[in-house]
Amino acid sequence: MSEGLAGPRRPWRPGPESVAPPRHPAGRLLRRGAWAAVLLLAACGDGRVPLTMYSPHGRDHLTLLEREYERLHPEIDVRWLDLGSQEVLDRLRLERVNPQADLWFGGPTTLFQRGIQDSLLAPYRPSWAGRVDPSGVGPDDLYYPVYRTPTIIAYNRDAVPDSLAPRDWDDVLTPRWHDKVLIRDPVASGTMRAIWGLILQRSLRSTGDTAAGMAWLRKLDGQTRTYALSPALLDAKLARQEGLVTLWDLPDILIAQSKGMPFGYTFPTSGTAVIDDAIALVRNARHPAEAKAFIEWVGGTEAQLLAAEKVFRLPARHDLPEARVPAWVRTVEREMVVEPMDWALLAERGATWMGYWDQHVRGTGR
Amino acid sequence: MTPARRGLTALLALLLAWVVAYPLLIVALESVRGQHGEWTLAYFQRFLAEPREWRALWASLWTSVASVGLAAVLGVPLAFLFERYEFPGRRLIGALVALPAVLPPLVGVIAFLFLYGETGFIARLVQAVLRLEEPPWRLEGAWAILLVHAYSMYVYFYLFTRAGLAQLDHAALEAAQSLGADRWRTLRRVTLPLLAPSLKGAALLTFMTALASFSAPYIFGGGFRVMTTQIVFTRLNGEYGMAMVQTVVLSLLGLAGLWLAGGGATVARAGGKGVAPRPQPIASPALRLLATIGGWTLGVFLLLPHATLVLLSFVPVGTWTVETFPPAYTVANYVQLLTEPTRLRPLGNSLWMATLATVVAMAVAVAVGLLATRKRAPLAGLVERLIAVPWLVPGTVFAVALASAFSVHAPWVARIILVGTVWILPLAYVIRNLPLAGRAVLAGFRALDPSVEEAAHSLGAGRWRTLRRVTLPLLRPALAAGATLAFVTALGDFVVSIILYTYDTRPLSLEILSSLRQGDVGVAAAYGVLLMLLSALVFALGSEREVVAR
Repeated sequence: MSEGLAGPRRPWRPGPESVAPPRHPAGRLLRRGAWAAVLLLAACGDGRVPLTMYSPHGRDHLTLLEREYERLHPEIDVRWLDLGSQEVLDRLRLERVNPQADLWFGGPTTLFQRGIQDSLLAPYRPSWAGRVDPSGVGPDDLYYPVYRTPTIIAYNRDAVPDSLAPRDWDDVLTPRWHDKVLIRDPVASGTMRAIWGLILQRSLRSTGDTAAGMAWLRKLDGQTRTYALSPALLDAKLARQEGLVTLWDLPDILIAQSKGMPFGYTFPTSGTAVIDDAIALVRNARHPAEAKAFIEWVGGTEAQLLAAEKVFRLPARHDLPEARVPAWVRTVEREMVVEPMDWALLAERGATWMGYWDQHVRGTGR
Repeated sequence: MTPARRGLTALLALLLAWVVAYPLLIVALESVRGQHGEWTLAYFQRFLAEPREWRALWASLWTSVASVGLAAVLGVPLAFLFERYEFPGRRLIGALVALPAVLPPLVGVIAFLFLYGETGFIARLVQAVLRLEEPPWRLEGAWAILLVHAYSMYVYFYLFTRAGLAQLDHAALEAAQSLGADRWRTLRRVTLPLLAPSLKGAALLTFMTALASFSAPYIFGGGFRVMTTQIVFTRLNGEYGMAMVQTVVLSLLGLAGLWLAGGGATVARAGGKGVAPRPQPIASPALRLLATIGGWTLGVFLLLPHATLVLLSFVPVGTWTVETFPPAYTVANYVQLLTEPTRLRPLGNSLWMATLATVVAMAVAVAVGLLATRKRAPLAGLVERLIAVPWLVPGTVFAVALASAFSVHAPWVARIILVGTVWILPLAYVIRNLPLAGRAVLAGFRALDPSVEEAAHSLGAGRWRTLRRVTLPLLRPALAAGATLAFVTALGDFVVSIILYTYDTRPLSLEILSSLRQGDVGVAAAYGVLLMLLSALVFALGSEREVVAR
């Protein structure tokens, strides 16, 4: 999943004044003036209905969907801000009295859970609701999964022959990869949090305690050459062979591959975390009807296939016509071993685990 | 002082307090509120008990002080060299020396990495020459942070000192010399005291910038934590109360610095009736050669990151990996940038917002300068400190404070909704520009002899006429320095923009981030080059004063 360089910010806390609707005449006049200026500036007097979405999906993906959707619905002007997934949550929190977005499109469901806690989402049940994995569906229809994001082990193909690449999580701890592992900073990344969660969840299941998992992560810290603070830096460092192996997610590696980066990947044989990537209607959105129509479309067969084909997104729908599904999707479905994840536990304990790891494990493995 | 003017001062103070101090007050209150809105000191107690936090605080303090030292050691001698001495290429390199200020955000850091990083150009060169197995160094830890700080922040000392030197009265120096003072004595007893306001302004600005610096420690810090990175990690982990405490502590550190620097406000005034000394040709040929070679070497060194960026903008995606030079070149990155109409809109956005922010910030700075140094208004001290406040807090924190203060509709506590409108980002730029504009303008005012204005008055010029015909022209170097820095800062701003931009105000830096996110380093670099050219153009316009003011 694509994330920004800046992280989430302080939570918005509802005060007693926040519920009062804006009714000050001067304020209204000012805001109208501002809106008039906005319209003028944007020169969007073309009469189309603006549909705004906040999304971590990245420019290529969003442009693709924007063009296709506007072709099908000429009366709609699709507008997106490509943010980090944590930033989406922070923005919605800050704008809750005056929502600017109609849709929250993309991000792990653990983050959408936090959106529910802050009452940021509105329910909508699309017609394809029954044809996705129920584990990714939010309570009371508050969000639905659109894509699935598998975590993987990635490596630099120029320096590591496919036959020697690590096959499972434990392989990364072997002496061969000492000082050769690059890690995207886990505190700032939903993908990495899922991997950390997988390790600690295994430790809990087998020993009843997280200590064994933390010990594993300490060994990984000992193997780690550096923690990359952004996906762009991770890509650059892996391509330039500052490290040879990393833990990351499938769509990002496939996109990098398609752009000519010398990256390869393997699915961990013992099982991998697959993150549900969701969409939700924003509470008090300006254009709820248009937003619902978009949700309906994006989870529909055509849009799912389009995203799979063009931007390497694994569809959440499991009933897509076999013949039309791209070959890479079939390969992935065949090779991938999915580890059952307790996302609720992760949402609950994740912050404590990451805090402990950051204070007591990071930098202590050497 | 007339009642009208007193009212004006009060209004200015109130307005500044509202947009500068009030949002921070709201943040400060958050640090003593528990999860359910109750008052608590628990977070402070936890902070005080944690040795890691103390280490980060100490790291912030010493790296900031060291950054000031390094920046001064680089910037001040350079300013003297370029302002005082004539040698071949002086004008050109003199302009180039300000270039670190125009290295665009994010992608500039990537350029640094491609240049000085462990697999960077320089490291590979050294590795090849010395036939090393491993890269000779890693760009990580305190020294890497200091390197980046020294590189990017000496510009403050350089520009401020040059502006100060340009305002210096030739007569004072000649008087000292004719009274028998040698060069060193003149420097120590006349020049430096007269430069004190400029130097102090630059030191304060550097200290604050280093204290609030985020990208350098974030990207190059490795395990070395300072307060700004500590805040981000704490917040990323959802411990918002603790992050607020860290923010408040960092701000207090900055506040202490501000008070220390603002304390000795009584400084020498230049007898600015004459003109600044012209640059002198260096008499000795050997010295001239040395200055020329030194100047050019320095120019090349300072330009290396920019050159790397330009190089990167011509590299196809995914090709430059283990080679010393890029194996292939393309103009596709620029074509992509110029052919997609939506990709150029952020350029227009950034331009109008930076222009607006600079004009407003300069106007406020001049008003504050007049009030603080000429009229001795009772609230002037407060106003002067208020405009320095935005440097006390990291940009991210300030943006969040602004966003939370203006995200609710409660006019009775002076809170209106600005989040999500086009106005909040230009407003934020104005506020972030105030310290830069204010420091430059105030230093200019302080170095200006009031008797010149008094003379204008006594010759019958009115208040406006004096301001327009005497004060502002004399302040031109300071105004140019302030406006240039303010404009370039706003044009390239990233940390504030990312929190406050909307669909209609998406700035250039976000377009760079958008490309980087997808691994399109080439396109991001092309944008960076565009931003750099624009900033360089502004610097060139700003330094035209050399022709005009003399």
